Amino acid sequence: MTLLREIDCYVSDCVIHSPFAPYIGLFAAASVLMFIAYFALQRPEHRLYTFAGAQVSMTAAIAISFIAMTCNRMVTIELYLAYAGISSIIMFTVPRFYDRILIGRLSARQLSGLIEWPSVFVKKLTNATVYYFDSAVPRAFSSGRSIFVSLGLLEMLTCDELRAVLAHEAWHIRHNSKTPLLRQLAIMTLTSHQTSALESLADEFAAQVVSREALASARAKLEL
Amino acid sequence: MVKLDQIKISNDGLTKFFSPIEADIMDALWESGDMLTVEITEKTNIPLTSVAGTLDRLVKAGFATRHVENVNGRVRYVYSAAFTHDETANEITTRVLDSLVDAFGEVAVENFARYTGKNK
Repeated sequence: MTLLREIDCYVSDCVIHSPFAPYIGLFAAASVLMFIAYFALQRPEHRLYTFAGAQVSMTAAIAISFIAMTCNRMVTIELYLAYAGISSIIMFTVPRFYDRILIGRLSARQLSGLIEWPSVFVKKLTNATVYYFDSAVPRAFSSGRSIFVSLGLLEMLTCDELRAVLAHEAWHIRHNSKTPLLRQLAIMTLTSHQTSALESLADEFAAQVVSREALASARAKLEL
Repeated sequence: MVKLDQIKISNDGLTKFFSPIEADIMDALWESGDMLTVEITEKTNIPLTSVAGTLDRLVKAGFATRHVENVNGRVRYVYSAAFTHDETANEITTRVLDSLVDAFGEVAVENFARYTGKNK
């Protein structure tokens, strides 16, 4: 209740007389409209942009009301701003160094210490480091600027198949570095239906760089 | 894996304490010593996808050990049993007996005595 009273106080005392008040209304309305559009639209990229737009408008509305306030009883809004600020920083920076966390968690080591050619091969495609980790379960994935492969995968694949897997992951890294924010938003907005599209693009790239046969046999081995 | 709360008394042999795949792998390792992953899948006749996770678990639980070998630019795991069959049997027996004595005290000990009597 005190919270509601406090908000009421902001609106009736602090904000309404400010010259900024119409802009707050405008941005808030835009944000609500875009949220409605976000729920109504079907296509992933449309949902992505409306969600991002709604977020930006809402943040703008909050920022303007913060400026417009003439009283100093605004703990709730300060708290909300701090929350929004900190969570945005975390959401946009964690993916950048998440590979560091993975290296620690998996006790991963650079593959070049074990075998040379995969790192050389990947360097030609993109600026990334290949790491291996101790597990018999064949797995490969990428994060940040790192590609991770399990020893089980190295053990199981032929050189060409491994090349195809590495090319596939290298494509993901290229793609991530081009559109990190969009990708991040896609995850936040649960619009990642496009992952399958991304996977087939990565496969297409791997088929071009290595060969369709190597890719197919690597897939067959991994999906047994 | 050997957890006292997961002992299946009605199962046969080692599968009282291990899952069937774990038991097959441990038997193979006790019989053959050092083994490559391929040799394990061939000997146990279990596909790699089923064996891989189990091997990770056995290594993590300390029943098997493995090291990496680099043969002509190809990486291979070499597995071996961490303890002999008898050592493992000893370990499991001790743990089970401890838990029985812990739960039933004197009664359990009396029953062991009956057992040793039978064997003689």
